Amino acid sequence: MKVITFILSLALSFSALANDTNPAKDLLLNMASAVHNRNFDASFVVVKGKSMEPYRWIHAKQGNTEIEHLSLLNGAGLEMVRVDNQVTYFEPRSEPYSLQTDSIAGPIPEVLFKDINRLSQHYDFVLGGKGRIAGRAAQLVRIESKDEYKYNYWIWLDMESSLLLKAAYVNHQGEALEQLQLTHISVTENPAPMLLEVLNRKFPTPLPENDLGGDTSLASNWKISWLPEGFELLKSDRHKLDLNNELTDYFLFSDGFVEVSVFIQRPLPGKRLSGALTSGATTVYVHNGGSFDVSVVGNLPSSTAKEIAESVTRAL
Amino acid sequence: MTKAHLNKLDSQALSALLDGEQHLTDETIAEQDVATFGRYALIGDTMRAKKNNQEIHIDISDRVALALESEPVYADFSQSKVQPKSVDEKPSDTIVVPFNWRKPIAQVAIAASVAMFAIIGVNTLPQNEEQSEIPLLQTTPLTGMASPVSYSTEPALDNAEQGLRELQQQRIGALVLEHQRQARVANSLQTAQNSEKAQEGNN
Repeated sequence: MKVITFILSLALSFSALANDTNPAKDLLLNMASAVHNRNFDASFVVVKGKSMEPYRWIHAKQGNTEIEHLSLLNGAGLEMVRVDNQVTYFEPRSEPYSLQTDSIAGPIPEVLFKDINRLSQHYDFVLGGKGRIAGRAAQLVRIESKDEYKYNYWIWLDMESSLLLKAAYVNHQGEALEQLQLTHISVTENPAPMLLEVLNRKFPTPLPENDLGGDTSLASNWKISWLPEGFELLKSDRHKLDLNNELTDYFLFSDGFVEVSVFIQRPLPGKRLSGALTSGATTVYVHNGGSFDVSVVGNLPSSTAKEIAESVTRAL
Repeated sequence: MTKAHLNKLDSQALSALLDGEQHLTDETIAEQDVATFGRYALIGDTMRAKKNNQEIHIDISDRVALALESEPVYADFSQSKVQPKSVDEKPSDTIVVPFNWRKPIAQVAIAASVAMFAIIGVNTLPQNEEQSEIPLLQTTPLTGMASPVSYSTEPALDNAEQGLRELQQQRIGALVLEHQRQARVANSLQTAQNSEKAQEGNN
């Protein structure tokens, strides 16, 4: 009995310690719950270098049902609708499809809408300064990578509603590479009627979950010997790319915050140069591996993408 | 609010600017021909601006709005004939009502590849000194910059090089789109993996 009480008290003191040691983490957790529980209508822009993408983001909570709509307003557009645990993607030129997941994979890293505690091992949460963003008092919270292989992510939170007002991928020199800035937000008591209308719509049946993982046996064809710490293989398969019908061996990795794709393909004809291409925080590194081409895509510094690409060898 | 009312409000604001020069009562302002009055105000502003070194504010939004109203509409989304037919033919459990927010934006037939290049083509410059040792690919030659393959003067070679460049560009567009799509399943895969691990841990 004594042992049990001792263990219990130890566990309690640990959890208490974990709770009040990091206000930055608490703020992020508050934001996650605010994003899930408030009715809001927001507009934001994502600035990547010289290009800019405007989005509209609406969220409603009706009883226990959550409805979220995120749409890209420029160009051909992209619409994402979430009703509770089902997200449907509407893309130009392809049929809509649904996934069984509890957050939209948009310009905001998904993990921010959940329990960010799972990032603690590889990221630090640091409280920054206060400022005025989108006309509101804001508190900066920095998610800082513990090594130099990933970008840092800075988030400015509304001090009143805990909602996100601004966010940026920042490199280790402190330069913002890709910024997301709210231009308008209105938080209302009641859900927007036009969002509730979504509940009457029928969406595609979600893809079965065991189809998503792909063929893991393929992993033995190639050896990816280096990845920053914390990255785990989520899926691997061989499939054709949608746009150019090229066959590729595909690997998806994630550290819980950023995703990295590794493509291994037949080499293109002609002189192939290895090199990086960036747009905002997204890097594409193409590596000429001799008898094959390796491409690494993800929100990572190009030096990291380069190292990953060059570590790929044919498994013997 | 009617147009006339708007104009009246405008002229009231302008009168505040003019107040220093001459006194006008509200009635006389209302009587004034709005256009003439606006021009006088502008002339006054210009002269004062010269004297006091201030900025001149010329508001042409009204006229632009008017001009836009009479502009022909080139892209009328509401009459888009691009409807994914196959969707309607599916059995009832997969029937999709295309998400008509107000217009069926998602159905506008613009090649996704083009959209991708717009994103990728914009920023091909190095991000910082640390990374400048990494060669940057010139998939979309920027104006005023020599692309690495342009030394050849023979048109045939040029064409071949251009074809290769297009292939590479196509591939990169396809890779970025694929990455975006695959990243969408990342979260549910990770959740599944974590819960598996937790279960193993319990056993």
